[in-house]
Amino acid sequence: MSLLQEERNIILNNEHVDNFDFAEVEDFVKNASKDLFISYNFKTKNKMLVQPRGGFPTYDKMFALYDFFDKADVDVLPCTIDSNTRLNDYATAKKMLRLSEENEVDMLNGYPLVTHGYRTSRKMMTHFNKPISLRHGTPDARLLIETAIASGIFEIEGGPITYLLPYSKNFPLDKAFLYWKYVERVCAEYSKLNEPINRESFGPLTATLVPPCITIVIQLLEMLLSLEEGVKSFSVSFSQTGSMNQDIVMGAVIRKLARHYSEEIGVTDADIHLVYHQWMGAFPMDQNYASQLINMSTVIASMVGANKIITKTKQEASGIPTKEANAETVANTQYLLRILNGLPKLKDEQEEEILTAEVMAIMEAVFNDPADTLWRKVFNSIKNGTIDVPFSPHIINNNEMITVRDRNKNIRIIKRGKVPIPHRCFEYEKNQCDLNKDTTSIVNDIIHDIGIMQ
Amino acid sequence: MKVVTGVVGNDIHVVANRLIELSLQARGFEVFNLGVNTYLEEFVDAVVETNADILLISSLNGEAEGWCREVKILKAKYGNLLDNVVFMIGGNLVVGTGDASDIIPRFKNYGFDLVFHQIDLNTGLDELEKFMKERN
Repeated sequence: MSLLQEERNIILNNEHVDNFDFAEVEDFVKNASKDLFISYNFKTKNKMLVQPRGGFPTYDKMFALYDFFDKADVDVLPCTIDSNTRLNDYATAKKMLRLSEENEVDMLNGYPLVTHGYRTSRKMMTHFNKPISLRHGTPDARLLIETAIASGIFEIEGGPITYLLPYSKNFPLDKAFLYWKYVERVCAEYSKLNEPINRESFGPLTATLVPPCITIVIQLLEMLLSLEEGVKSFSVSFSQTGSMNQDIVMGAVIRKLARHYSEEIGVTDADIHLVYHQWMGAFPMDQNYASQLINMSTVIASMVGANKIITKTKQEASGIPTKEANAETVANTQYLLRILNGLPKLKDEQEEEILTAEVMAIMEAVFNDPADTLWRKVFNSIKNGTIDVPFSPHIINNNEMITVRDRNKNIRIIKRGKVPIPHRCFEYEKNQCDLNKDTTSIVNDIIHDIGIMQ
Repeated sequence: MKVVTGVVGNDIHVVANRLIELSLQARGFEVFNLGVNTYLEEFVDAVVETNADILLISSLNGEAEGWCREVKILKAKYGNLLDNVVFMIGGNLVVGTGDASDIIPRFKNYGFDLVFHQIDLNTGLDELEKFMKERN
């Protein structure tokens, strides 16, 4: 028995799991409809896939949500996990699910997949014959993704960095790397049975003035950590920055470098995709304005050439959206994608050159770390500030980098901390901004820049 | 002048926390930022440990009352170690639309010297500087 199988036995021998049948699950994955695999959909559907967000606690409400999405012609169904399950608190999730069912009032902010179990969930996840994407935010997703794949969920979002630095203050980063290594290997194993399980990195991070070079470096590193474990379908992603030009530049650079670095480690048989998140910052309260923002995101995603778009709703500013509002965005987005034709191909050579140089300089510093494995190199690079995510709550993040928007609303680095971008690139970034003002004014600018869509 | 700051309780609003840190530094304060998800005892321990002049607590998810009503108990427990420390709290202190004229006296009764509910960041810091100037 392999070490991985021993670990899997330990993980699945859990009081909250009702007898995990390895052979049956393997047989299920082997014979599952190809349409359930987003990796297959990426290859065969010649359009940008549309994926909303959403999760309700009870089976019935979740099913109703999926039914609404299906009628709105969704491409990818969402499965957002509740926050108790995110914290691996399955006992509380179970209690809250019972309360949600008994009182008809939602006591959870997502679907408690582990509590429902894979036998129940599979009936729903396979019913619509569409791919489902798991979104959860947990640094330790081992039990969750075992349940997800057994349920028929063949896309797993997240990673050791992207689901830790934006969400946690003190969950140990080294443990997160090891827990996600397990996830990668399980996904790789199941990928041998049918179409590949797709892994997707969460590019928005803190969604607060994160500079493109930091986003791309983290996407590339999570991709490499995934590919080195045998994953064959990976999606890199980023969210709307606030500048169409910057998004187009980011899309071009991340695609090019994803190909470059995957070939560097000798992986030529993996499919790499690009996912675009609609605006992840604060939304306008006015629902008409919110709808316009969403439509603008769709146009930009098309200009970027994204393979999948993850949508928002007009109710974003006021809380959890209804299934009606959610489905409305899906239908509107599908309509807009259908009528958006003859888009120009824009290219900004200078911006692409600067961004490429920044990313490659940081990647070189990561690879030059003396540690013996990639995950340890990445760990050290985060700890020593080579990688620094603005507004991360995590104590391991250096939090020395400061970013603002220039006159065209591009995100610019004005203090780089220990991030080793080349001096000429740093000078270029600073030269785009008006820095002849005191820090109090700059803080006011940052506050305005963060709330740019309100 | 030294300030201990952070976000109290199960609150992960990191943006405001970071901006407060930057603004305090810009105004010349020496800042010890405990970050998000910080508990009252941690704040007070840090104040004593750093010999800070000011404790500035943020709360942005409306749960401040549950986490901060024991300020007087801690002041009594720590005795003269906290005698000259200014206790300040600001942010979204209650869930929903609360009235500042109700909220401010309540939190002052819990033991805070300065209380701000839904106020602009720089306005709050201006008031803090004015308070410190008048006090010294």
